Amino acid sequence: MLEIRNLHVSVDGQEILRGIDLDVRAGSVHAIMGPNGSGKSTLASVLAGRDGYEITAGTVTYGGRDLLEMDPEIRAREGLFLAFQYPVEVPGVTTMYFLREALNAIRKHRGQDELSAGDFLRLARERSQPLGMDPDMLKRAVNEGFSGGEKKRSEIFQMSMLEPSLGLLDETDSGLDIDALKIVADGVNALRSPERAFVVITHYQRLLDYIVPDYVHVLVAGRIVRSGDKFLALELEKRGFGWIDEFAGQEAAVGV
Amino acid sequence: MPAATEQVSRYLQRFNATLTREEGEPAWLRERRERAMERFLTLGIPTTRDEEYKYTDLSALVDGKRRFDAPADSVAPAVPDYALTGGPRTEAGAAPPAFEASGTVEPGVRVFRLAEALRQEPDLIAQHFGAIAPIEDHALSAANTAFFEDAAVVVADPGVTASQPVHLVFGSGSAARNPRVLVVAGRNSALQVVETYVGAGTYWRNAVTEIRAEENARVDHYRASIESPDAYHTGLLQATQERDSHVGTFSLSFGGAVVRNDIRTRLNGSGCECSLDGLYTAGQGQHVDHHTAIDHAMPHCNSHQLYKGVLDGNAKGVFNGKIFVRRDAQKTDAVQSNKNLLLSDEAEVNTKPQLEIDANDVRCTHGATIGQLDATSAFYLRSRGISADQARNILTYAFAADALARIRLEPLREYFEALLLARFAPQED
Repeated sequence: MLEIRNLHVSVDGQEILRGIDLDVRAGSVHAIMGPNGSGKSTLASVLAGRDGYEITAGTVTYGGRDLLEMDPEIRAREGLFLAFQYPVEVPGVTTMYFLREALNAIRKHRGQDELSAGDFLRLARERSQPLGMDPDMLKRAVNEGFSGGEKKRSEIFQMSMLEPSLGLLDETDSGLDIDALKIVADGVNALRSPERAFVVITHYQRLLDYIVPDYVHVLVAGRIVRSGDKFLALELEKRGFGWIDEFAGQEAAVGV
Repeated sequence: MPAATEQVSRYLQRFNATLTREEGEPAWLRERRERAMERFLTLGIPTTRDEEYKYTDLSALVDGKRRFDAPADSVAPAVPDYALTGGPRTEAGAAPPAFEASGTVEPGVRVFRLAEALRQEPDLIAQHFGAIAPIEDHALSAANTAFFEDAAVVVADPGVTASQPVHLVFGSGSAARNPRVLVVAGRNSALQVVETYVGAGTYWRNAVTEIRAEENARVDHYRASIESPDAYHTGLLQATQERDSHVGTFSLSFGGAVVRNDIRTRLNGSGCECSLDGLYTAGQGQHVDHHTAIDHAMPHCNSHQLYKGVLDGNAKGVFNGKIFVRRDAQKTDAVQSNKNLLLSDEAEVNTKPQLEIDANDVRCTHGATIGQLDATSAFYLRSRGISADQARNILTYAFAADALARIRLEPLREYFEALLLARFAPQED
C-alpha cells in the first residue's frame, strides 16, 4: 500500500529525515515511536502533503503511484487520512458543513453519488455515537473551543466518516486521559480491516496497549534505528529511548 | 478657474430647479436648504488633500470625465425582500414615486413621505429634519440637504415596540440620487429599519440618514448597499442618542466603484449603547471606505464596533474609526475592531483607529488586522479532500459570515449569508 524508500527531508535547510525506509501493507498496523525531535511528525506531515518540507531524496509510493506528486486533497481522496497532532480550529465553518464537503469530494472522486443532507446526518450520528460525542458538536465550528480530548476525538470521528485506506495518527494519544484514550483506541480498532492500514505515531507505549500494532519502529534522529513487533514497544517503555542510542550508529533493520 | 465656475453654475441651476420643484416646503426647510447650499459651495466636493479623504478620490464627481447619468447597460439586481414577512416595503425615490405604505403601518409605527410627514407631524419634523446630520463641515451632507427630492420619515411613537421591520428601498432613478431618511424612535420605543440600495448603470448616490433615539429607545438599523459596479456611493448616517437608548447600525457594502460611508453617533445621555458594525466586500476596480465616529459625551455609555472587509483583485479598502471620549464621559467602555482579509497581492487596506480621550476612568480598546487566509486552516481542509479553491472559498465565507452574526434580524442575516455563500463558497457539484 505504502512504500517509503530512502526518504530524506529538510526544513529550512536542516535535514530532519535522513533516509527512511518503510513498507506498510493493507491490513497492518505500524507504530512509529521515538523521542521528541526525532522526525515523527515531519514524516506524518510529508505524507499528508503539508507545505514547507523539502524532499531532497527518496520516493514514496502509495497504491502504486507517486504520493509526493499528489496535492493534499488528492491524497485524501485516494484514501489517506492524517489525524493531526494539533487539530486546527476553523471559526465560522461548522463541522457538519466541512465534513459533508469533504465526504462528498471523496465520494465524487470514487465515482459515488453525493450524500444528501439527511443521509449525511444519519451517518454522522451513527459514527459519532460510539465516540461519545455530543451530536450538537456537528453544528459547532470545526474544533473551535474544543478541549484537547474533544479535538482528538473529533479527528477520529472524521476518520470514521471519511473511511480512509491508510490512517496516519500523529500523537493522537498526547494529552489524553485514560478514558479518552480508550475511546479513541476503540474508534481506531473498529476501523481495522484487511483493506485498511494504520501508521500510529506516538511518544508513549501506553497507546499501544489499546491499539496493538503488528510492527513497531523506532525513529531516532531521522532514521528508523530498530524495528520489531509489539514487544519492542514494551522493551522501549522499560528501558527508555536512551537504550536505543546504542543502536543509533548501526544501520537500521527495515520494517516489513 | 472656468471649469470650476461652470461647475458652480450647474450646481446653482440645479439648486434653483430644486427650490422651484419644492416650493410648497415650509420656510424653515427652505432656509436649511439654502444654508446647506452655501456650505456645499464653500466646501466643495472633498479632495484627497483633505485628511478625511486622503485615500478616497472623489475627483470623478467634478472633473466631468465620467457621466453620472449614463444609461444602464445592465439590469439592476432584484430588490431582495429578505422574506421580511408582513413588514412594509417602501419604494422611496423610485420614479414615479411609489409609496403605498404611507401612514400607519402598525399601531404607533408610521412611515411617511416628507410632504405627508410635514402635514401630520410638523413640529417633530421641524425639530429633527436636517438638524441631526451636520452641514457646516460636511460637504456631502450639505449637498444632500440642498438637493434631496424626497425623504422617508419613520416614526415610532413612545412606548411602541414595532413588530416588523420597516424596509426602505432605493433604486437608481434620478429621484433616488440624494436619498434621505429620518428615523425618530420615541421614548421607550423599539424599531427596526432596513435601507436597501440597488441600481444599474453609472450614477452617484449621496445618501443621508438621520436617526433620533429618545430616552430608552432602541433602533436597529441596517443599510444594505448593493450598488452597480459603476456607481459612486457616498453617505452619512448620523444618529443622536438620549439617555439609556440603544442604536445599532450595520452597514453591508457589496457594490459600487467608489463607496464612502460616514457613520456617526452622538451619545448625549448616560447609559447609552451603540454598535456600529459592518461588512464590506470589494473586488477588481472597487474602492470602499468607512469612516465611523462615536462621540461619548456622557458617562456610563458602551460602544461597540466590528467592521470586517474582504478585498480581492486590486480592491482598496479604507477604515477610519474615531472615538471621542469627552471629559464628562467617565466609565466609558468602547471597543473597536477592524479586520480585513486580502485575497490577492494587489488588494490594499488602510485602517486607522483614532481615539481622543479626555476622561480618565474609561476602557477603550481598538484593534485592526490585515491578513491573508490562514495556510494552516487551508491545509487542514485540503487534508480532508477539499480542493484548494474550495478551501479558500470556505475560509473566506467563514471570515465574512462571522460579521453577519451581529445582525439580529434573522431573515436579513440569512439572506446575506446565502449571498456570501453563493459568492465565496458555492457547493461543488
